[in-house]
Amino acid sequence: MAESLDFEKLVACHYQHLYQFAFSLTRDEAESCDLTQETFCIWATRGHQLRDISKVKTWLFTTLHREFLGSRRRQTRFPHTELDTAEADLPAITPEPVSRLDLEQVMTKLSLVDEVYQAPVALFYLQDYSYKEIAEILEIPIGTVKSRLARGLLRLNQLFTDAGTQPPTT
Amino acid sequence: MTRDEAKIIFLRYRPGTTDEEDPHVREALVLAKEDLELSSWLEKQTARQQALRKTFRRIKAPDGLMEQIISEQVASERRMNSHRRLAGIAVAAGILMVTVILGFLWHRSRPHASNTLDMFERQMASYALRGYTMDLQTNDAEAVREFFRKQQAPWDYAISSTLQKAALIGCSVENWQTTKVSMICFASGAKVAPVAQNDLWLFVVDPKSVEDPPRNTQPQVFRLNRLTAATWLENGKLYLLATTADESVFRGFF
Repeated sequence: MAESLDFEKLVACHYQHLYQFAFSLTRDEAESCDLTQETFCIWATRGHQLRDISKVKTWLFTTLHREFLGSRRRQTRFPHTELDTAEADLPAITPEPVSRLDLEQVMTKLSLVDEVYQAPVALFYLQDYSYKEIAEILEIPIGTVKSRLARGLLRLNQLFTDAGTQPPTT
Repeated sequence: MTRDEAKIIFLRYRPGTTDEEDPHVREALVLAKEDLELSSWLEKQTARQQALRKTFRRIKAPDGLMEQIISEQVASERRMNSHRRLAGIAVAAGILMVTVILGFLWHRSRPHASNTLDMFERQMASYALRGYTMDLQTNDAEAVREFFRKQQAPWDYAISSTLQKAALIGCSVENWQTTKVSMICFASGAKVAPVAQNDLWLFVVDPKSVEDPPRNTQPQVFRLNRLTAATWLENGKLYLLATTADESVFRGFF
């Protein structure tokens, strides 16, 4: 019962942030849900191996990122047919609210940034993680984080400039 | 550090965070304080960063995701527990089966103790019930004793006075393991077995031929197959008296 309660608390605390990160990487709601769920599933089976409980959030982000990379590798090896090909057979879906347009715009631009820069950029904006923490999550050196951030953010800015659009304002 | 270099560094700068601890950011901030154009650029850049930050954080997990994760986990744990239980039962059954097989193999490989008193009693009962050929038919007790002596079977046995009253029919030498057994046949005189002339048998053997000879010197009466029997030890001889007659008749011989 206590374990179940701890798990529930953990999910309540982190699922939103993990989903945001997953969505930044995949731009796909179903895939993001799967990644988030899979991350907690892994926690349920292997979480007890984590010695420093204060690192749980970092651990969850690292696990999600690993799962994402793993799924990308699988997709490269076993490409699957996108639903778009069967679009004509599917019922019409009401478009997303206009208020989400800015987000979609940003996500579209992010998808055009080289994939290797996307995860650091997403973490940079989503969480107030330090460069060191981003390095821990992505399991890369801190210097690599800084250079990937600089390149990724520069590319993102360029994409907004090239399209003649400005990044969303407050 | 040039202005352009500072701008590159400011791309990854988030005001109010630990980014300010980064030495390059700190150096760029110092430069921005002295450079009005850079300072103005930084202001705009910071506003853009904040806007992007807010937009990113507008990503919202679908309703019910949290509940779905928790319920899936609960279901998964139930499945796991069920699997663990089944696996536990399978392991226990496996251990039991292995134990039974090993026990069986051990029992088979173990040399059987075939020279116990129990085995002796059963074998002698079998002789008495399933038929035997009498080596000597006589009612002469001394002739019987002499016959045994010649056959190198136990001959210096003691016969109680009550048993001496039973009608002697004859004798036979039987084998028990590698030891000779003297078998003396009597008629008990019981009315229940009028046809059988010889329905009372006394077996005498060297007690060393059994690994667990009796310690009692008084006859201990018990059922042996379809017989009533008694064993005892007397003067270095093992005696087994058995009959098909009633126990009451049997006890009359002691």
